[in-house]
Amino acid sequence: MTNDITILIGGAAGQGIQTIGSLLARVCHNAGLFIFSTDDFESRVRGGHSFHLLRISDQPINTPSLKPDILVAIDEKTFVLHKDQVHPEGIILKNGNDNLPVDSSVFTIPLNQLAKEAGGAIVANTVAAGAVLSVIGAKEEDFESVLAKQFKGKGQKVLDQNVEAGKKGFEFGKQIDFPKLFSFTQAEHNNLVVSGAKAAALGALAADCRFFPFYPMSPGTGIVTNISRYTDQLPIVVEQAEDEIAAINMAVGASFAGTRSLVATSGGGFCLMTEGLGLAAMSEVPVVIINAQRPGPATGLATRTAQADLLFTINASQDEFPRFVFAPGGIIETFNTVKKAVYLSEKYQVPSIVLMDQFLVDSSKTESDEFKIGNEFDTLLENDTKSYQGEQFFRYQHTNTGISPRILPCGSEALVRSTGNEHTQEGLSFEESDNRTTMVEKRFKKLTLMKEEINLPSIFSERSSIFLTGWGSTKNSIKEACLTLREQGIDAGWIIFEDIWPMNTEKLTERLQNKKLFMVEGNATCQLGNLIRQMTGIDYASSVLKYDGRPIYPEYIIEKVKNIIGN
Amino acid sequence: MENTQFDIDNENQWCPGCGNFSILQAMKKAFLKLGIAPKDLLIVSGIGQAGKTPNFIACNMLHGLHGRALPLATGAKIANNDLDIIVSTGDGDCYGEGGNHFLAAIRRNIDITLLVHDNQVYGLTKGQASPTSSFGMQTKMQAKGTTSYPFNPIATALVSGAGFVARGFSGNGDQLSELIVEAHNYKGFSMIDILQPCVSFNKINTNAWYKERVYDLHETDHDASDFEKALKLARLGDESIPTGIIYKTPGIPYHERVDILKKTPLFAHDFSRKKMREILDKA
Repeated sequence: MTNDITILIGGAAGQGIQTIGSLLARVCHNAGLFIFSTDDFESRVRGGHSFHLLRISDQPINTPSLKPDILVAIDEKTFVLHKDQVHPEGIILKNGNDNLPVDSSVFTIPLNQLAKEAGGAIVANTVAAGAVLSVIGAKEEDFESVLAKQFKGKGQKVLDQNVEAGKKGFEFGKQIDFPKLFSFTQAEHNNLVVSGAKAAALGALAADCRFFPFYPMSPGTGIVTNISRYTDQLPIVVEQAEDEIAAINMAVGASFAGTRSLVATSGGGFCLMTEGLGLAAMSEVPVVIINAQRPGPATGLATRTAQADLLFTINASQDEFPRFVFAPGGIIETFNTVKKAVYLSEKYQVPSIVLMDQFLVDSSKTESDEFKIGNEFDTLLENDTKSYQGEQFFRYQHTNTGISPRILPCGSEALVRSTGNEHTQEGLSFEESDNRTTMVEKRFKKLTLMKEEINLPSIFSERSSIFLTGWGSTKNSIKEACLTLREQGIDAGWIIFEDIWPMNTEKLTERLQNKKLFMVEGNATCQLGNLIRQMTGIDYASSVLKYDGRPIYPEYIIEKVKNIIGN
Repeated sequence: MENTQFDIDNENQWCPGCGNFSILQAMKKAFLKLGIAPKDLLIVSGIGQAGKTPNFIACNMLHGLHGRALPLATGAKIANNDLDIIVSTGDGDCYGEGGNHFLAAIRRNIDITLLVHDNQVYGLTKGQASPTSSFGMQTKMQAKGTTSYPFNPIATALVSGAGFVARGFSGNGDQLSELIVEAHNYKGFSMIDILQPCVSFNKINTNAWYKERVYDLHETDHDASDFEKALKLARLGDESIPTGIIYKTPGIPYHERVDILKKTPLFAHDFSRKKMREILDKA
């Protein structure tokens, strides 16, 4: 029998709810359990209301759940907001001193008092973590070894206080009888707990990206933070640009000079980058952009999630040009997709854009699949520059594939010219009409091969009567909702898009023909549904849309689908 | 000295009589003196008449967007700090659209040479006021005269911490080519604001107007290491315009402050599969 629980830890920003979550996650991870965690927070550093969702299972899991078995309410607001959400058999740990039993499932824990007894108010989070760990069946010594590692550098006194705080938490937790105990046996495993932000960072590094100009913008910043940790270990440069316009132009400049470059931002920053995106396209300089979507327009909801930039991304920048657009659905998928995006951008000399979102960037989960290094780091620049004698070099030479030879500037006798103006094969600005026509066609010629690089959507249960269809980070919620619906007798399959653009219209039409699509998307206008209709002529049957700035949880999809089909 | 090494078989698009021609000549002369071959030269430019420059000279070229030449050049230099990079831009391009990048490039002290063709008017878009247009200058767009005071690039560069600040004049090619040589040899960010007439659209700041006002700092007792004096020179009015090196002080360029760039250019490192594997296993 599978054991699978969800813990919701809520409080004000600055109260350390993520610290509690990460202590719990570490103890569970060491014991070989699987975790999925995500954060819901406001755009502020102190106060307000934030929560951390942590799902723990003895089987691999891919999504969060919104039905907590344990609610840890650090403040009264959390208790009021979330108490009705708790599973009928769940419990609530409520911070406070009143000791008044609200009902049999609510336990008031005097976190501050216990922390003070252990040495100071600062260790209150450790008390809370200890209490929860005790409730779910963890061993005290496992917690102590995590604490020892965590506070290694902070001195013996700090460690002692935390160990004492952990003991007090455990002591408190022992009075609570909780039915869903895990077996905490230390297990040997190679699992990793990785966030979406880190997976993107690692993917970029494994594909030999070396230059990361950035301008801070939630939720894209975390990706670059994860890269900057490796500046002492790898030949990479992370440079804070003066704005996003500078960031994309720096990336284009560096890429022109032979260094793979990636910029990570969110929708607003991506808006500022769009002219630079066009420059990359026109000059055929590879560049990779990660757009970690958040709700807009304008500042919208700065720390929250959305899937509403798809059509913008496909069309961003003036005029028309080929580009890749990807939307990975999970953590390992993000790693693999970013690698692929970098490689294909180099191969076709076109921009690659990876759509993530706050939910994916800020979620962490246990991955048991290996993070593999492929051949994406292989250089695609022409090393054999000896064949270029004299100054003349056709950087934009017409070829059967549309892909022209690319060499480093100042690396040979040949003069390398790139420009954002329409140009000759030599790269000199040129306005003549026939040249313009052939150059537009040259760039679009790449599409034939580019389409073959795009994986068709994954389809589950070919003959289902309805297909939950979505893209990007809703992948795992759709899958889990689909499996639950099937258990309840509803004949649902799924269609998940992760490689989105350019669409292979013929093959896609064939795959989607005669399927009843229920679009599941984090936007208000059903963007992928409309794109499918535009490209294939196939209309979707219905849609489950959500645009409140919060993730799409499986429960939400299940409820909406049932409403639609009248079940 | 006849110099054809940098000539290129491409139609020049500037107006006859444009100050750009003498700037281009001064550039070629400077590169010849420096012993830089076209294959070793990268000219990065933005948009505007000055932005077209690398199309008219034999060199490696990265011709980008309006206002964005400096971040493009910054990226190229970080990727390969062995590159010899000259940025060719204009007053609208660099001080208007690209103002923020101008400040940031100075602060980074990225080792490139910035040449700003400053004709105090927008040429390619046909005669609107630029950030350096004199107050009240009338144009087709600003029929009642400009309502903003002119931007002072020299003073701004100085107070922002630039280590090499010079002003040239297209009418003095010998001095300009010497300035380009000096700017190129300076280790770090160097800028030359180059005054030039626009024969088509600037009827105030003509060649004759400049000639009456410019003087060469070389012919004075100016000490280019004196910041206070430099700032005073930068704030003189229109009546007397100093040209030459206004301020010069040594600094540490970007690529000598970032450890990984000190020994080997960024692009030239080998990818280490082993190192990457270790990182992934410990992720």
